[in-house]
Amino acid sequence: MAEPMPRRYAFPIALGALLALGGLVAVMVLRPGLAPSQAEVGHEIASDLRCPDCQGLSVADSSSPSATEIRRQIDAQLSAGRSPDQVRRSFVDRYGEWILLSPTAPIATLLPVGVLLAAIGVLALWIGRARTPAQPVTVPAVSDLDRARAREEAEALDA
Amino acid sequence: MRTLRWLLVPIVVVPVVLLLLHGFSRDPAAIPSALIGKPMPSFSLVTLDGRTMTSADLRGKPVVLNFWASWCIPACVDEHAVLLEAARQYGSSVQIVGVLYQDSPDGARTFDARYGEPSWPTLLDPNGSLAIDFGVSGPPESYVVDANGIVRYKQFGPLTQAVIADQVARVLSLTAAGRGD
Repeated sequence: MAEPMPRRYAFPIALGALLALGGLVAVMVLRPGLAPSQAEVGHEIASDLRCPDCQGLSVADSSSPSATEIRRQIDAQLSAGRSPDQVRRSFVDRYGEWILLSPTAPIATLLPVGVLLAAIGVLALWIGRARTPAQPVTVPAVSDLDRARAREEAEALDA
Repeated sequence: MRTLRWLLVPIVVVPVVLLLLHGFSRDPAAIPSALIGKPMPSFSLVTLDGRTMTSADLRGKPVVLNFWASWCIPACVDEHAVLLEAARQYGSSVQIVGVLYQDSPDGARTFDARYGEPSWPTLLDPNGSLAIDFGVSGPPESYVVDANGIVRYKQFGPLTQAVIADQVARVLSLTAAGRGD
């Protein structure tokens, strides 16, 4: 039968375990992340590009001849030392912003939406103004003199 | 105040109508070319009859570069008749060049035998790199390039006699006016 561990060792052991765990977490967090491989960078670029001869697919998701050739060109350009932005730009230079699934200059997309929203806003303002009740018409008070004159004229007509 | 209110009607309606007219009058599949005003991509490719042709060979006269395929029916069939007529009409003053898009040489030969042997060369683009360099999304698609190698016009869909006449005349006048930058 083993002797139970004296209580006085409990605290240093717990502290040691805690420090070891903390050290492990720190090493895991602070360890420099592995740089993505060329294939991963290429896949990311291909995911940003629209497949020219498909409907709604990225170059990464398509096996069409154009998508295959674009993936080959991405790989060749990365191998030649070009940066991902330079590779993307080389396709924008040929196809225009259309080739990007998320255009970097969204003015062409935002302008029509902006015009429509502005038009709806002005229309709402206009309808709102049209629906506000008009000022109540204040009827001038009829004086006793006027009332008497009207009665006289009515009696004269009846006569 | 009433005048202002009625002024709001055209202020609201006119931009919306213009926006809708713009939206409905264009083909959503048509992609404007990023190459207009820029030099034609350089290339060195083999033609259907085995000769090597480079982009430099095309300098000196307007070029109609036509991306086509034998499976592109009926658009490429209709366009082929238009190109045969244009080749007859313009002779050597305009260079027509076909580029085979995602198609086999045998497919192209069968097409030509059936719809009329062209007098112009057809380039083979086996991996589609020239189509990508031009930003082609599908046949038929054509580019008009001036005598100095500058891309001046993109036709999305089949060429017509009127488009060829207009664009060739425009390119010739640009070159004559010295705007062959």
